[in-house]
Amino acid sequence: MKKILIVLLMIFVAIPAYAIDAIQLLKEIDRNLNPESYELYRKLINIEPDGRKKEYVLFTAKKDKDKVAALFISPASDKGRSTLRLGDNMWLYIPNVGKPVRITSLQSVVGGIFNNSDIMQLDYSDEYDVEKFEDLKDQYLLYLKAKTKAVAYDRVNLWADKNTKTPVKIECQTEAGMLIKTLYFKEIKDFGDGIVRPSVIETDSPLYKGYKSIIIIAGIKKRTFSDEVFTLTFMPKMETLR
Amino acid sequence: MGKAPNLWFKRFFCMWLPCLMLILIYYSLFAIHLSFCEEYKFDVSEIEKKPYHIGGYLEFYPILFGLDKTSALYKLNFYDRDKESTTEQYNGTLQLEASLEKGISKLYVKTYTNYLNSYQYETTKFKIFEGNLSVKPSSSWIFETGKKTMSWGKGYAWNPAAFLDRTKDPNDPELSREGFILASMDFTKSFAGGNLKTFSFTPVVIPAYSGVNDDFGEVGHLNFASKFYFLFHDTDIDFMLLTGGSRTTRYGIDLSKNILTNLEVHGECSLINGYKKTKVDSSGNTSQSTYNAFNYLVGLRYLSQKDTTFILEYYHNGTGYTPNEMRDYFSFIEKAYEIYNATGNPGMLNKATNFAQNIYGRANPGKNYLYLRILQKDPFDILYVTPAITMLANSDDKSFSLMPEIVYTGITNFEFRLRGGPIVGKSGSEYGEKQNDYRIDFRIRYYF
Repeated sequence: MKKILIVLLMIFVAIPAYAIDAIQLLKEIDRNLNPESYELYRKLINIEPDGRKKEYVLFTAKKDKDKVAALFISPASDKGRSTLRLGDNMWLYIPNVGKPVRITSLQSVVGGIFNNSDIMQLDYSDEYDVEKFEDLKDQYLLYLKAKTKAVAYDRVNLWADKNTKTPVKIECQTEAGMLIKTLYFKEIKDFGDGIVRPSVIETDSPLYKGYKSIIIIAGIKKRTFSDEVFTLTFMPKMETLR
Repeated sequence: MGKAPNLWFKRFFCMWLPCLMLILIYYSLFAIHLSFCEEYKFDVSEIEKKPYHIGGYLEFYPILFGLDKTSALYKLNFYDRDKESTTEQYNGTLQLEASLEKGISKLYVKTYTNYLNSYQYETTKFKIFEGNLSVKPSSSWIFETGKKTMSWGKGYAWNPAAFLDRTKDPNDPELSREGFILASMDFTKSFAGGNLKTFSFTPVVIPAYSGVNDDFGEVGHLNFASKFYFLFHDTDIDFMLLTGGSRTTRYGIDLSKNILTNLEVHGECSLINGYKKTKVDSSGNTSQSTYNAFNYLVGLRYLSQKDTTFILEYYHNGTGYTPNEMRDYFSFIEKAYEIYNATGNPGMLNKATNFAQNIYGRANPGKNYLYLRILQKDPFDILYVTPAITMLANSDDKSFSLMPEIVYTGITNFEFRLRGGPIVGKSGSEYGEKQNDYRIDFRIRYYF
């Protein structure tokens, strides 16, 4: 009886310890991808099966855990559009319309494989719990489950490189486990200020057969913004942050 | 505008604009072809910020109207013309935007140049839609002065609380509109933790004098407006007020919230004190009544799992006309038309035209309306194609317009939109008495 109790006690102690390690690892991966508050320049490229492509350049500002704003710099048809995320609240500002309109995280502002939450991504550790963790040969595999229904992908499988502790591949799935898209992280680059991370993210999706999307990161740096930048009033003025 | 510039615009918009569009499309397709062989690259020049910016769009927009020869508004507009079954309208538009930024200050100008050729007119309009100076000493304080569009309210098709804006066209609610000359300030404060996340206060001064905002309302007054915004319990809430003398005092509230991750609900209401309503009976006699008009709108935006967006709105227009009042007006036109046919005297028809232009001709003059728009993003996995259908109905007389459309944005900086549909209603109803039975339009826009 005593032995059984000791074994049970060890199991109860071991499970939280493993969970904490996996959560800690996810937090580390998040920090290696981005500082908590930063500015970022990136290009989104949608590539059609016949090779035609459409490009968007975005400026992004993030603060703390739940404040993200993004501004379209090009093409001319989208220039000046901005999106704002404040926790689970999201808005889209279109210059011609002249006012911010509430949108959902699943809606797409650029068309194609990307949706709003890809553009206004928060830390994985803030949006997901680690359900399962596997220690592979050169990689870690984390099985993530969304904390709330407000997240675009209910389940995420994340493969991370053991050396750099940055993602190598991410599979985004529905609650039923259906694959929505796969992200491949490539070309590790030193952006300065201690930020060393993949600079190219390739995406494909079984829902858009033959289509491919690529994100290229041109620059990312730590920057602190005031809270008022992440408000509806400021959305038309996003350009002044650059 | 003089005759020579008008001729120049006519030549540009009728002859050169379609040719220019074709050249630009060819060039864009050629650029796409070249880009097949390119590596993915991201030059620093692409993100370099310049202190100035010039952009905008060029638009070619022909429309075909199928005329309803039995309708009251056809008789009013075509009584002295050949009886045609269709009529065309050609629009060419150039919208230019320019800005200059220095330190905390920014100068911004948006101009609108439109050439219109229809059965009634051939005109060229040039307007400064916006032209203002903004000063932003910090992210909490923004001061602006000049011509500006405020765009208050949460409704998509209508905004009963947009006291400082020109009326939206529910057939094209995303079109930019001309602003008014005003001075405003924005003060914003964010709060960490708690249910109140953001508070903003926007006081506005709007003069209405001869030559300055003389179409805003009664001239000779300095008007004051303000908006208080709260992000409270993840709900956007605005309180709005306008007073001063050019228009009667009015109060407004709007709110918007995501109640599910794919369902947003919004509402907007306004109370207009002492609204003066002019109406005409079937004999052409006018009468005026004064009352406090209450307007409201409730709406939702829903996104289905298959990426279909539904926008549904119900609008009660407290300043609008009941079906009986609308019928009286249409009866007056019919009588005026009969008199014209019998005597050749257009006097009564001219009087009816005057009512159409100033009172009954505004967008949605009725009391209660329903708006439904359904959009399907990337149907059958075809990127950049968005089919949609829009219904705009007068829910009192059950008349409506139905407008299916398809938008293609696959060529960088181009937007193509084809739409067309019937305008349906019984005799005496708002849409039944419209001049047209159907319309088909095609719009090409090139952004630069």
